[in-house]
This record gives sequence, C-alpha cells and structure tokens, in this order.
Amino acid sequence: MSEPEDPRWLDRIAAELRREVPVRPAWRARLLDEVARAPKPSVRADVDDAFGDRRRRWSVTIGPLGSLAAATLLVALGAGATYVAMSRVGANAGQRPAQSAARATSPQLVSGAPPSAEREVVRFELSAPRASHVALVGSFNEWNPVATPLSREPATGKWVVSLRLPPGRHVYAFVVDGDVTADPSAPRAADDDFGSPSSVVLVSSPRT
Amino acid sequence: MSVRLLTLAVAFAASAGAARAQEVDRTLPSQLSAPTRATLDRLIDSARVAGLPVDPLYSKVREGVFRSAEEPRVIAAVQRLTRDLGDARAALGDSAGAEEITAGANALRAGLHPADLSRLRESRARRSDHPLTVALVVLADLATRGVPPAMAAASLNELVARNVSDGSLLSFRQNVERDLVGGRSPASALDARTRAMIDDERRRP
Repeated sequence: MSEPEDPRWLDRIAAELRREVPVRPAWRARLLDEVARAPKPSVRADVDDAFGDRRRRWSVTIGPLGSLAAATLLVALGAGATYVAMSRVGANAGQRPAQSAARATSPQLVSGAPPSAEREVVRFELSAPRASHVALVGSFNEWNPVATPLSREPATGKWVVSLRLPPGRHVYAFVVDGDVTADPSAPRAADDDFGSPSSVVLVSSPRT
Repeated sequence: MSVRLLTLAVAFAASAGAARAQEVDRTLPSQLSAPTRATLDRLIDSARVAGLPVDPLYSKVREGVFRSAEEPRVIAAVQRLTRDLGDARAALGDSAGAEEITAGANALRAGLHPADLSRLRESRARRSDHPLTVALVVLADLATRGVPPAMAAASLNELVARNVSDGSLLSFRQNVERDLVGGRSPASALDARTRAMIDDERRRP
C-alpha cells in the first residue's frame, strides 16, 4: 500500500469530515433529546480511587465518518510503518546480533551459522581514527549507503560491522565521510567502471 | 589508513552448479529514466536468455546509481559486463557456476585473456569438480595491483595444478601484496612467493 501522492490528502479528509451533514430540523431535535435522556456511562469506583486525580480522563466523540477516517488513517500509518521497517530489514538483511559477531573474529572461515540460514558471519573492520561516519556498501545491500553503518568499537577505536552474508562473491567498498574507498587488505575488484575501485569478499557455503 | 578485513571466508567450495543463495534485488532503480530502464531491461533479459548470471548486472546498475554515474555510463558498464560474462563462460566451459563466471569476467577486466582462463581450467584436472572462483579472484587482484597478467596466470596455473587449497591461494595473494607494499617489484614478489608456496606444498604430507 502506498501513500497518496498529494500531501494535502489529510487536509481534504478533515475538511470533508467538518462539512455539516444536512439533517432535517425535526430529526436533529429528536436526536438531541435522545442524547439528553441517555444514562451517563458508569466508571468503576475502584479504578477512580486507585488513580485519583493523577488520571486525566479523555473523551473523544466521533461520528461514523470520523471513525472511517480514523480507521483509514491508522491503516495508512500502519502500512507506512511496515513499509519502512521492511525496507530496513531488507537493506540490513545480513546484520546479526553482537554475540554472533564475536564469533567472526577469526581470520579463517567462519562457520557455525545454522545450516538452514545459508549465511556466514563476516566481520568488516576499518581503522579510520579521524572519520566521523563510516558505512559499508556493496552488492549485498544494493549499494545503499545508509543501510549498513559501521560503529566505532570502544576498545580498539576501529569501525566495525558484522554481517551475515549468503554464499558467493560480493563486491563492496567503504564510505568514509562520504568518500568511497576500497578495502586495501582484501582482494580488489577490477571492474571499477565508475571511477573508484571496490573490493571482493568470498563467502563459502555453511555446509561446505 | 589501515584497513583490515578480519574475516575472509576462504573456502568457496560449493559445487560449480550449486544454486546460490544470493538475494539481489532484481528490479531496476526508480532513479533511472524510463528509456534507460527499458534499455537495461533488454540487456539483462538477453543475458538471462543466454544463460548468463544476471545478479552481477543488477548489482552493477545499483553501483552506478550509488556512484551517481551518468545513465549512458551505467548502460555501457552493463554492456561490458555482459560481454565479459559471456567470454568468461566460453573460456571456463558450460559447467562453470555463476560465481566462477563472475570472477572470470572480473579477471578478464583486469587484463587476463580468455585463453588464460581456459588454461587455468585445464590446470585443475585433478580437482575437476572444484570451483576456480578463488583462483580467479586472486588472479584478478594480482593483475589489478600491477603484476603482469601473463605472469600472474602462469603462477596461478602452477599452484592450481599442484592442488593448492583456496585458503593457501588467499594467503599467497596477501603475501604478494605485502611484498609489493614493501617495495618489491611485482615480478620478483610473484616469483618468490610462488616458489615458497610450491615448497610448502611439497613439504606437506
């Protein structure tokens, strides 16, 4: 579900809700009488006692159109939030909690991921003491510069990130304060079609 | 700047035809114009019909968008990669997997000839089911770092023919790189490290 293209859509819905619905005067008077005769809603005394004056009671009265609009708004917000969350999950599909990252400190093949996951933990590390922001871009995150930021490790001062990558050959680069740089300690990719070189990481199958 | 990749998964030992769990977004970025997307769609479809791996092509497009490349440059990069993938597959044989083909294309881009790739394939006679991906990655890396491609190819042929493991090939690459950084000439570094690696393999039980 996508958000309407016109950003004024909320204003339009509000204006439509504010528009007075034509009702015959006799019906209006009868409706008001019914409302006046209706018993007040009861409130549980124990709840009132428990919260006392600290609890403020909020009451919002909305009509059928208002309910519909509120429901629409909630669905739209929910869909939007889901979309954003799914986008982040997709972009960071390889990220993994810290305890698994610790397993990746060996310079050798890192195994131990559940076979069904078909992924291996790979730890990327960069020493860039003067950098204020470092990110990882590559074929595994659609070259999205905001998907995989590195964080500075307090103990070493290095920028690190651990990803769970699917088996295969992945091309990547670091983005250091906006500048793209290859990883000089890793094999270099020769296909620098766009000006600056990239690096290659090979990930084995967890089953091999 | 000191950069270090701590973990390099070294043994890319999946069989050549094994399915790959790559999760590449096979859509074209919306930032590109409609005519460019249409052109890229045609190119990628042609590659797919030809049986070439298409994930590297989608990744190349996204890399171009990330690097703010002009659209004609993105198209040219995809055309060139498609051609290299086709040449690599022809050199490595129909049984080559997607990763081998992609690594082979990268090696061609680094200055290797298709004949170098074919010779490498023949060199692994004793391990005919073992993918050449790591060897090809090392080969491309050495050529990119200034080692003459013909020399690099000859060294890798020697090592692959002697059944050197993928992990050892990656160590070999690191050692050559260290020598180059230390000021040694590419030819000298390559020769010394190749001999050392062969000696190590001989001593191994």
